[in-house]
Amino acid sequence: MTDKRKDAAWTSTSRRRFLQSAAWTAGAVATGVGSWIIRPDWANAAAEPIKVGIATDLTGAIGYAGNANANVAKMLIKDLNAGGGLLGRPLELYIEDTASNESVAVPNVRKLIQRDKVDVVLGGITSSMRNAIKDTIVKRGKTLYIYPQLYEGQECETDIFCTGPTPAQQCDTFIPWLMKNGGKRFALPSANYVWPHLLNAYARRVIEASGGEVVFEEYYPLDQVEYSATVNKIITEKVDVVFNTVIPPGVGPFFKQLYEAGFGKRGGRLSCVYYDENTLNINAPYEMEGLASCLDYFRAVDKDDPVSARIQAEYEKEFPGKVLFAAGSAATGMYRGIMLWAAAVNEAKSVDRAAVAAALDHAKIAEGPGGPAEMVPGKRHCKMKMYTAVAKNGNYEIVEQSQGLVDPKEC
Amino acid sequence: MDDTVVAALSTAEPAAIPRAKTTAGRRPVLPIIELSLLVIFAVLPLFLADYLTVFFTRVLILSVLAISFDLVWGYAGILSFGQALFYGTAAYSVALMARDLGITEIFIVLPAALLIGLVLSYLIACFLLLGRRQPSVIFVALGTLTGAYAADRLARGWYYLGGQNGIPSIPPMTLGSYTFDEGPVYYYFAFATLIVVYVGCRFLVRSQFGLALAGIREQEARISFFGYRVQLIKTIIFSLAGSIAGLAGGLYAFHEGFVWPNMLGVIVSTQVVLYTLFGGVGTLIGAVIGVIGIEVLSYILADNYQEIWPIILGALLLTVILLRPSGLVSLVVPERERIGNFEPRRRRRAVGH
Amino acid sequence: MESAVAAVFEILSFGAIIVLVVLGLGIIASMMGIFNFAHGEFVLLGAYTVYLFQTWGLPVSFGMLAAPIVVGALGLVLERTIIRRFYAAPIVAMLGTYALGVIIRESVRGLIGGLYRAVPEPLIGSIDVAGVHLSRWRIAIIAITILVMIGSHLLLKRTSFGLRVRAALENPPLARASGISTNAIYALTFAFGAALAGLAGALVVPVFSLFADLGVRFLIQGFLAVMLGGVGTFEGPVAGAGVVGVVSAALPWAVAPVLADVLVFVLAIIFIKFRPGGLLAGRRI
Repeated sequence: MTDKRKDAAWTSTSRRRFLQSAAWTAGAVATGVGSWIIRPDWANAAAEPIKVGIATDLTGAIGYAGNANANVAKMLIKDLNAGGGLLGRPLELYIEDTASNESVAVPNVRKLIQRDKVDVVLGGITSSMRNAIKDTIVKRGKTLYIYPQLYEGQECETDIFCTGPTPAQQCDTFIPWLMKNGGKRFALPSANYVWPHLLNAYARRVIEASGGEVVFEEYYPLDQVEYSATVNKIITEKVDVVFNTVIPPGVGPFFKQLYEAGFGKRGGRLSCVYYDENTLNINAPYEMEGLASCLDYFRAVDKDDPVSARIQAEYEKEFPGKVLFAAGSAATGMYRGIMLWAAAVNEAKSVDRAAVAAALDHAKIAEGPGGPAEMVPGKRHCKMKMYTAVAKNGNYEIVEQSQGLVDPKEC
Repeated sequence: MDDTVVAALSTAEPAAIPRAKTTAGRRPVLPIIELSLLVIFAVLPLFLADYLTVFFTRVLILSVLAISFDLVWGYAGILSFGQALFYGTAAYSVALMARDLGITEIFIVLPAALLIGLVLSYLIACFLLLGRRQPSVIFVALGTLTGAYAADRLARGWYYLGGQNGIPSIPPMTLGSYTFDEGPVYYYFAFATLIVVYVGCRFLVRSQFGLALAGIREQEARISFFGYRVQLIKTIIFSLAGSIAGLAGGLYAFHEGFVWPNMLGVIVSTQVVLYTLFGGVGTLIGAVIGVIGIEVLSYILADNYQEIWPIILGALLLTVILLRPSGLVSLVVPERERIGNFEPRRRRRAVGH
Repeated sequence: MESAVAAVFEILSFGAIIVLVVLGLGIIASMMGIFNFAHGEFVLLGAYTVYLFQTWGLPVSFGMLAAPIVVGALGLVLERTIIRRFYAAPIVAMLGTYALGVIIRESVRGLIGGLYRAVPEPLIGSIDVAGVHLSRWRIAIIAITILVMIGSHLLLKRTSFGLRVRAALENPPLARASGISTNAIYALTFAFGAALAGLAGALVVPVFSLFADLGVRFLIQGFLAVMLGGVGTFEGPVAGAGVVGVVSAALPWAVAPVLADVLVFVLAIIFIKFRPGGLLAGRRI
């Protein structure tokens, strides 16, 4: 991966300039009315457009991920339109900023539903955001909702489809690998919200079933930046594997303090299932040497998979810069979500919610980042290939991959 | 000779009087503002799309919250940064009632919200306001701010309350089998609540009680020497404001369908203060105008200048604070009409009283 | 034994950070009687300056030297233009500085794109003491804080400038009558307080990484520390900061982090309620 961080001309491009520099926005129409609306050049009055709504964190703490999946949406809608749209109709993209702030998000999502009247909404990254906006979309808005990010599972509401990895996909093979390449004593330092709580419950089951033990499981406020007590406990209790679910802003200082205490040097293994290429930028490379992650896609997969390489290249051409196409940032889930939905629309030959939902239930795509993907009928979750990777010198190297598509085991 | 004297006197006075206009002669501006806002809000939903009606419902609910703050500061001189504490706690409580006990009946949840706000603010008042020594304004401000901050941290850390995520998917408020969904129905309900609260507060502050409040705000020591039980009055007004804030919290929880720790914390607390300051302290309608002003501005600015609108908002607020600390309302309402302003008339125009 | 050493070290380093932040706040509050709600954002600006230096390819340590100067200069400008108008109304000062803080914070957020930026520390690595790894940089923070405190104390007690500052604090009309320009003193004091905050931000940014809400968490802790220690003295806020910092860092070792957070504030408020003057009440600089 070209390390853009080392560019001599690495100046902090403001987001505005960055987006403006994307060449193809010549075709984009950003109206003065709030959301980004992008219409294809060939949109004509006769064919009524299909409206796709994206509600994601363009600003705020989760902005690095939100921008990645907004970019993916733009890229894919442009591709679909270049191919003639869906059902002969052009696709219009409406993007609203949820700003990593639930009380700002809900009114903005309401705009998507009530003012723009979109046919589908994709988005939400953190579970708290999903929980805040799902009612507005599904219950009050009676619109289909596709959630693209890795999460804790147990979202079984009808009309909500999840295209990101679930705990089963992230833990079932990963934890045994960690035990072989780390040790039996696990620590679970976590951020205090729903995703870590439920993920840890699942992880604990797998750890104990594989013969390991959980030394401690603790929850910290999201903005805690002092982890001395935790780091000390990890060292003194001789923890082998840290299965981390602390998120920004705490994760950077935590990893730094862990490194300074010599955890890695003593043979400890750091692991974090949401860490991708975007989050690798948070710390210096030497502080994250050996960090293991398990996701549905890594840049390193491109070496062996031409489809992934093509997708990655297309993204980088259209969106050069610091917002990377990475699996922990909902970008791959967004890709799958849009393409699976497109396949469902083509099968149902309409955008009516019930028809599309019925088709989406068993939709498949043959080409996606990391490999093909298919929805599990009746479960509204997605099978995909999973990869285990280790950070070496600021880049990920794949150390293990699943044989075929892994079952999400949800609902 | 009397005629000359009278003539002389009558020529002496006109020089002074023509410029003078006593308040008795001037038309009061406040009621005009209040009535026009009343009419505008009454007919608004007829002209607006649903999602905008929902937006204005939020404005109405926040106005109730802002009024609670204006009550304590504009009239009693207590700078409470903690209105969000009562607002958020009531919101969380009704959310928990709906989630765990399944209670969404309007005649139970709204009084509950009111009561929770009342009890909590009473307790806080007892701690912060009472005591042998008169607490400084800074102390009360800091104490309430700390209370709000501590509650925020607690809610963020407590998993039962949903932690960082808050409590989502709150079922809508019900009246028997009828559900209050967002839209014109909830709008008019919130509107009715605002009217009731507003009228109630207005009567309160124009009464003898209101005069005593004004006295406390201006010169607490002097008022207490007159025999007014200052501690009691302060506790009453603080508790009342707390209960109003709680009511707003209950309404908000059912309208938005979710509650989260930010509702309890410093940001909403300060936001409330800014609403009131922006609109005009010491006139209940000023709080409402402040909410409308800031929320509408935020909506418009967020649409067009997504990245820099918070900066513009901050700059706007700073400008208002620097140049017009009495708020927007003072642009049209003369100083004298702001209730509680009992400063002596500076320029005595009428001669020979 | 190892735990104890590590604990003491972490508590000290965290306490030092708080002291540095609060020093500036306390001086401004004692001097001019206003609570600067934008103080957290001065800390942020110090951190941002260091980040800027890093993106321009200059060494981080240069940025850390520049940060107090930059932020101090900005403080001076702000004081002359805006803050000065608030002296008559301390309440309005709180809200005005809050609005100012919002402007600064959102500007920085727009500039760094709302993300978290890592800044490496000038002294990488750690030293081994009694089997515990102590971060070199944190030791440096403790050392610098002690130096700054001693320096400020000497400045105020031993120099003629300090004498003028104390005179302006004690009795402004008399000071003016004696030919001391209180306007200039206030401006310089505010700038000094801002510079201290900038320094604090510069020193802590490698530890906490740069993000727009960096300053917010210091604000409440700062105010509590100042009130706890006692407004009106130099030692007061320092003592208050020391207590708040130490307790904040120490409690998580004993109780759950959630409770620890809340307890510090609740305890502080209760203490202030019963001793409104604070820990070191009454004594002047």
